[in-house]
Amino acid sequence: MTRLARRAGIAGAVALVRRAGSVGALALVFALTPGLAHAHLVDTRLGDFYSGALHPLTDFEQVLPWLALAVLAAFQGPRTARWVVLAFPLALAAGGALSLVLPPPPFAPVAGVTLVALTGLAVAAQLRLPLAALLVLAVGLGLLDGYQNGAAMVATTDRFLFLSGVTVIGYAFVTLALGCAIAFLAGVGGWRPIALRAAGSWVAAVGIMVLGLHLVSRGVG
Amino acid sequence: MIALAERAPARRAFRSGLLAVLALFCALLLPSLAARAHEATMAVITLREIAPGRFIGQWTMPPADVTLQPIFPAHCQWNPPELVCGERGLTGRLSFMGLGSKQSVATIRVVPREGPAVVYTVSAAKPTMMVASEPGTNLAVWADLADTYVNLGIDHILRGIDHLLFVLGLIWIVKGGWRLVKTITAFTVGHSISLAAATFGWVGVPERPLNAAIALSIVFVGVEIVKLQRGEPGLTARYPWIVAFAFGLLHGLGFATALTALGIPQATLPIALLFFNVGVEIGQLMFVMAVLALMWAHRQAQALLPRWGAAIPAYVIGSVASFWFLTRI
Repeated sequence: MTRLARRAGIAGAVALVRRAGSVGALALVFALTPGLAHAHLVDTRLGDFYSGALHPLTDFEQVLPWLALAVLAAFQGPRTARWVVLAFPLALAAGGALSLVLPPPPFAPVAGVTLVALTGLAVAAQLRLPLAALLVLAVGLGLLDGYQNGAAMVATTDRFLFLSGVTVIGYAFVTLALGCAIAFLAGVGGWRPIALRAAGSWVAAVGIMVLGLHLVSRGVG
Repeated sequence: MIALAERAPARRAFRSGLLAVLALFCALLLPSLAARAHEATMAVITLREIAPGRFIGQWTMPPADVTLQPIFPAHCQWNPPELVCGERGLTGRLSFMGLGSKQSVATIRVVPREGPAVVYTVSAAKPTMMVASEPGTNLAVWADLADTYVNLGIDHILRGIDHLLFVLGLIWIVKGGWRLVKTITAFTVGHSISLAAATFGWVGVPERPLNAAIALSIVFVGVEIVKLQRGEPGLTARYPWIVAFAFGLLHGLGFATALTALGIPQATLPIALLFFNVGVEIGQLMFVMAVLALMWAHRQAQALLPRWGAAIPAYVIGSVASFWFLTRI
């Protein structure tokens, strides 16, 4: 009886998680829909450094893959994962610098959403990646997001401070998320990687749906 | 054995990479921040009452951003330099258009025909201020005052890279635990005392030598880090709370310059000081928490500096602070 009750409880919890996941995924799809995307320079009153630091955090499209990247890196173990702490912020800074000299590449929106889907899929599959592949993903994501953030600057923005803010927040966010994910995976219980993989599958689902919407909207246009 | 041998070059490469990034970061970011530390970002407009409800306005400290404009209550008509508010007088909501990254604080100083002048400070954090006919008895005005000065305190500490760098140095030496709690508390007590003393005018130090001394305090912490890493624990490593308290007194005088520059009336000064200090503590706590969280995350990810490069952050802190010292004397 107790076992049955426990099973019923677990089943209920799983159903609740699934429902929450579906609702969350739907909400995220709406949040990430390209048609709704718009520039949103955050005025933090603390100067352009803090404006740059807050800018990526206001956008699910950027925060979600950063989180997925950190979890994916954590799955590779600390020895491989720690390279992301180096590579990702550098790529963000480089991407931001590129936005000052290059026009927006036409493939950037599709590439961004594709990377969200790919990173989510890799987490869902708990893929063991060679270091080079992980770095390519981290650098690709960093370059794209750095570019997108850089492109949001206006004429009066102090570019150096703004891009420094973007870089520092990218470093802090990914490092903290990576530390948390590694600590979480080190805990007792086989359910821990499964929980992270489930989260990855939601990210992948969101990425795929948004990619679909994006392609459809382009086809209709 | 072979596995260990294979891991060593990877570890070395990682650590070298980490150091390279750190060096790049410091070379690019910190000197720039040095030049920007503590920019004057305040504008002051003075309104002199020439007849009941009629004022003449003049910028006594012009704004850095020319788009900055005062916004007066709806019943007032602002045709620069004249402001006509009629029988109701200058009461209601005051704000500024254009407060942001270039101008963080703007002040309206109202000089009535009779009685003392009243100063209203509007920050980008608290972009509006209620003006009541009797500010001393209106609770909403006091709440606005608290809101404004807490945010101003947070603004000041988060923009004050020199104060943050000193706190970072203390964290670096003390590492964590109760010793860090005591050290940060001592720093807080120290700067609260001198902030109050300077704000009330009991002590006064010229701004340039004060800022130079603050820079020197950071150089001192940098030297202390290096000494600790060489196995020679200095004063800060042995008695961190004493050093934190002593230099807290110095940094508090620096905090006070932000507050005294606003020209707050004596009647509202104690409450303004209290809330400004609360804001400074909130900002400081946010910074300490962020640094500790990042240190923890680095340990989890095993992303640590090699032993031979451990002194580099101390040299960076010392070099940047020395640069500040030279530019401030």
